[in-house]
Amino acid sequence: MDLARRMFMGQLARFAAGASLVPLATVAEAAINEQPPRRGGDPAKRYAMLIDLRRCIGCQACTVSCHLENDAPLGKFRTIVSQYEVDDPETGDMSTFFLPRLCNHCDNPPCVPVCPVQATYQQEDGIVVVDAERCVGCAYCVQACPYDARFINDKTQTADKCTFCTHRLEAGLLPACVESCVGGARIIGDLNDPESTISKMVAEHHGELKVLQPEKGTSPHVFYLGMDERFIDRPEAFASIWDIHGKDNKELHYEFSGH
Amino acid sequence: MNSAVIEILAPRYQIAWYPWAVQYFFMIALAYASLWLALPGLLGAARWKATARFAMLGAMTTAIVAPIALLADLHQPLRFWHFYAYFTPWSWMSIGSLMLPPFVFAIIALAWLVWREPMLAWRDRSDLFGMIARLVTLGSWQTPRFLVVTLALATAALSLGIAVYTGSEVAIVKGRPLWNTVWLLPFFATTGLIGAGGLVLLLSRIAGPRDPDTARNMLWVVSAAAVATAGVALMWVLEGLYVENSSVAAALRSVRHSAEWRTTSAWGLGVGTALTLGCLLLLWRKPQRGWSWIVGLVALHLAWMARWVVLMDVQTVQKQTAGYLEYTVGWGSSGWLGVVGTFGLWIALILVIDMLVPWRGALGGTAGDAPDTTPDYSAKGAASHG
Repeated sequence: MDLARRMFMGQLARFAAGASLVPLATVAEAAINEQPPRRGGDPAKRYAMLIDLRRCIGCQACTVSCHLENDAPLGKFRTIVSQYEVDDPETGDMSTFFLPRLCNHCDNPPCVPVCPVQATYQQEDGIVVVDAERCVGCAYCVQACPYDARFINDKTQTADKCTFCTHRLEAGLLPACVESCVGGARIIGDLNDPESTISKMVAEHHGELKVLQPEKGTSPHVFYLGMDERFIDRPEAFASIWDIHGKDNKELHYEFSGH
Repeated sequence: MNSAVIEILAPRYQIAWYPWAVQYFFMIALAYASLWLALPGLLGAARWKATARFAMLGAMTTAIVAPIALLADLHQPLRFWHFYAYFTPWSWMSIGSLMLPPFVFAIIALAWLVWREPMLAWRDRSDLFGMIARLVTLGSWQTPRFLVVTLALATAALSLGIAVYTGSEVAIVKGRPLWNTVWLLPFFATTGLIGAGGLVLLLSRIAGPRDPDTARNMLWVVSAAAVATAGVALMWVLEGLYVENSSVAAALRSVRHSAEWRTTSAWGLGVGTALTLGCLLLLWRKPQRGWSWIVGLVALHLAWMARWVVLMDVQTVQKQTAGYLEYTVGWGSSGWLGVVGTFGLWIALILVIDMLVPWRGALGGTAGDAPDTTPDYSAKGAASHG
């Protein structure tokens, strides 16, 4: 409480002093909206995930097993595999690219400082979680996440997101998506343990690893191996399965929807 | 087809803030901007007193309706007390939750101070209105002027906090480049002023008494605020064009190929230009000022639409998947019913106050027992009624 009070007084002082002198952007972004202290979890660990895209076959087993494990409402997902058809302009060949998406458990998670009731917080082991008992469902965190990793759960009317299956990790199990991955593309582990598989892979492939939207300064902790640079930011792509109804309102297969 | 990439499975991410949010941001902006319009009259400027009477009615009613809309946008509205049980000084929304109640109560207290003066005359009545007047005025003492001035200044200080927090709350969201710009703060404030000016023009037409000073003041305010809004928009676009890797550039990129966004910006620009020209025309052609209420309606439309575009349309821009979210406003409480309900509550509140409070008599105005809906085009100088 003391820390909170001290921070608040500091903010107030800066707010009052800065109102006329400091540009509003500085007040809005620096003074307020900073990361609060982490709490809970094992301080000795830093969980992270490495996704070896060379092994992903886009089967969506992770999507389904996560959905079952975490009881997400229909149509909303804690993890999903984006599937792309990529046209090679030189040869005219089509190839496919699969990109599993989930919460990046960022080191600077933009969803945490916005929460007005501290319902969403980062554990000391880096995992970002939501206390559904405290969450007021304001959806500010849903807006703040640049990765669409959060949603409002229709059943609980609170914010929902990937937790790296922290309940399974605590029981010594792997997250549902990792356990169900057919190709073994998802590797989860402790970055603080140099002997962990993920630490070894990070050391081995350091130069090749990519994260999503690095320019946002969120410092994501889901690393991709074998990443196509075009997909780091929002790709310039056409959505196809949205167009499932033609002009006569009959269902179309995506292959016939005009491209 | 020259596109290189097709996204086969594009999930539909739903919007997270409903039209309730638009209603809140609209109402709260009307509240603080109306207060600003009332301020000169409250502090004693003679030619702004009639304006202040209308503006106080607008400020007080919107300040009451706004938090109700805000509460409705929570998915767990009954947990609103968590805001106060777990105060979070690093969250703009939490800071706002502390600022909002003092602001709302200050506006109510200010309206009470200003309105109890004409209500004193009703204390002798033997009917229901007299009973209410005796209860509400809390004694027959005269309102000390220093109290009105002090409270008006204090409420104005609180209103600045509201303007800063509502703008910052949205502007810090890096996840949505279209919001993530400091220009959103002045944009909310100037479009709020457009709306508040329009509201006063409309109230002065339908609730009377018509006042030439008010029409002139508000036509100036609306046109100046419209020009200021255009300036803010221009600065934002210029930042996108000239500053490398700015969030504005990302924002412009995200809507570059959208026909809907092109139409929306054209409509906003067109309505804004028409509004400014309309104001200037009526300022120039005094005999036609009876039409100012149309300017008022257009101004309210622009202020509301600005918030709809910023809060709703921006949510249809996908963050990382292809295309746009095809959002259609539902008919239920998180759709049109919420919008209509908020406006209905607001109008009901105005009617109740109009019935119970002789607000036209405040600040030296002439009190009447019933609103005079007959337009009085010949009214000159000080406000008159009846």
